[in-house]
Amino acid sequence: MSFLLPHLPEFGLGILLTLALIALGWAGAMVLGIVLAALRASPIRTLRTIASIYVLVFRNIPLPVQMVLFVFGLPLLGIQYSLFTSAAIVLIIYTAPFISETLRSGLNTVSRGELEASRALGFSPIGSMQRLILPQAFASMIQPMGNVLIMMVKNTSVAAVVGVAELTFTADKIAIDEVQPFIMLGGAAVAYIVIGLLLTRLVTALDRKVAFSR
Amino acid sequence: MSFTTFFDEPGPRARRRHRLLEIATCVAVLVIGLWVIVELSAHDVFSASAWAPFSQWGMWRLLGAGLLNNLTAAVTAMILSMVVGCLLAFGLLSPSWVLRRFCMGYTAIFNCIPVLLLLFFTSLMLPTWGVQLPDFWFLVIALTLYSGAVIGDLIRAGVQALPHGQSEAATALGFSPIRTIWLVLLPQALRSMSPAMVSQMVIIFKGTALAYVLGGYLELLHTATLIGSYYSQSALQALSVAAILFMLVNIGLSLLAGAIERREQRRFGTAATSDEAAQQAAMA
Repeated sequence: MSFLLPHLPEFGLGILLTLALIALGWAGAMVLGIVLAALRASPIRTLRTIASIYVLVFRNIPLPVQMVLFVFGLPLLGIQYSLFTSAAIVLIIYTAPFISETLRSGLNTVSRGELEASRALGFSPIGSMQRLILPQAFASMIQPMGNVLIMMVKNTSVAAVVGVAELTFTADKIAIDEVQPFIMLGGAAVAYIVIGLLLTRLVTALDRKVAFSR
Repeated sequence: MSFTTFFDEPGPRARRRHRLLEIATCVAVLVIGLWVIVELSAHDVFSASAWAPFSQWGMWRLLGAGLLNNLTAAVTAMILSMVVGCLLAFGLLSPSWVLRRFCMGYTAIFNCIPVLLLLFFTSLMLPTWGVQLPDFWFLVIALTLYSGAVIGDLIRAGVQALPHGQSEAATALGFSPIRTIWLVLLPQALRSMSPAMVSQMVIIFKGTALAYVLGGYLELLHTATLIGSYYSQSALQALSVAAILFMLVNIGLSLLAGAIERREQRRFGTAATSDEAAQQAAMA
């Protein structure tokens, strides 16, 4: 295992970069996803169409293709960011449609009759939204949101395709340098499993906490 | 979900305002679109020389061959992961505690590992274990390891969603547990899961683009980058065409999944499988 010691900082940096990608990607995708969901619910048809087209396009192009297009294609147009920034942007762009779809289906789980009942009781649209719809919608959204989050955690590895030195890339590089593929890639897999299982636990705990007695 | 689900039906004034906003946003989109087109043509994106390689029939044959390679890998991985998934589902549904735990561990672990890492793993480890294979099989094995776990969980959910009477009746008729699952439960579960299976196919198809990092299997993304490095003035065009081809195939598959789901609903009056695993697979 002595070969590992000089590479420890590199490996740690890889894990840090992956965590940074997860945090940045999730925050950005959340914002963009909420905006998309709001656009798709808006009364203005142009905005609805734009959001639908966005979801259709960016959900159906594979992430590696988007990554390569963004990192190797856009510089030909004079648009260039650092590798890490590009990877984060592409992750945000790719994940946002999934989040907006989750938000939409979460809101759809609340039956229309409940909304009508609350309006009949004299709640304002905003009031019934905030007291009745959103709490229920959030409760049913947590599990699918967790699935999207774990999908995104796995997708951060695709940044390695364009050469961002995150966990997968670093592990692969050290594995080839030191001819120790089993230990290095196994170590990276363990790191991903730890992150993934921790997030699963967190989501399950959160789900139990806000669960409605339906 | 739409605006009118949550808010009041807009009155005449609000409707006039919405109409005005609609026109304004339309104009804004047109202006921005025009600006983008002008900006792109300033970089010779639409120039004839950049698109010249694509006027050759051979170029489209190359791209088509790349896409076909993606589809071949995806279909092979799908078939193999159905086999792995069925085996896993047997394990997950078995009365043996050890076997059940083992299969649950497999699903939990392979749900968390990125396919790219699996791809590096297969392409580095299999040769050192003396298994010399073309890059195609590294890709297929990596995709199968991951997707088998998802499909196993899907089949488990589909079987558990069936009414308990089905397996009781089969047992009463003297079927062994394996034959009960194989002849009674699995066919019904597979039928109700077909939309989720097509969605899983989309996921696998998207995953095949990762073979780009291996470089030994000419899938569409790799083909496009090779074209880009050969005709350097058409690099962006080649990548865009590849992206559009990927998109079209995926949209086609999604439409197929939607059609199957609607047919299921018409014929059996229920949504396919309402279990969480099915939703998860349909979403990713």
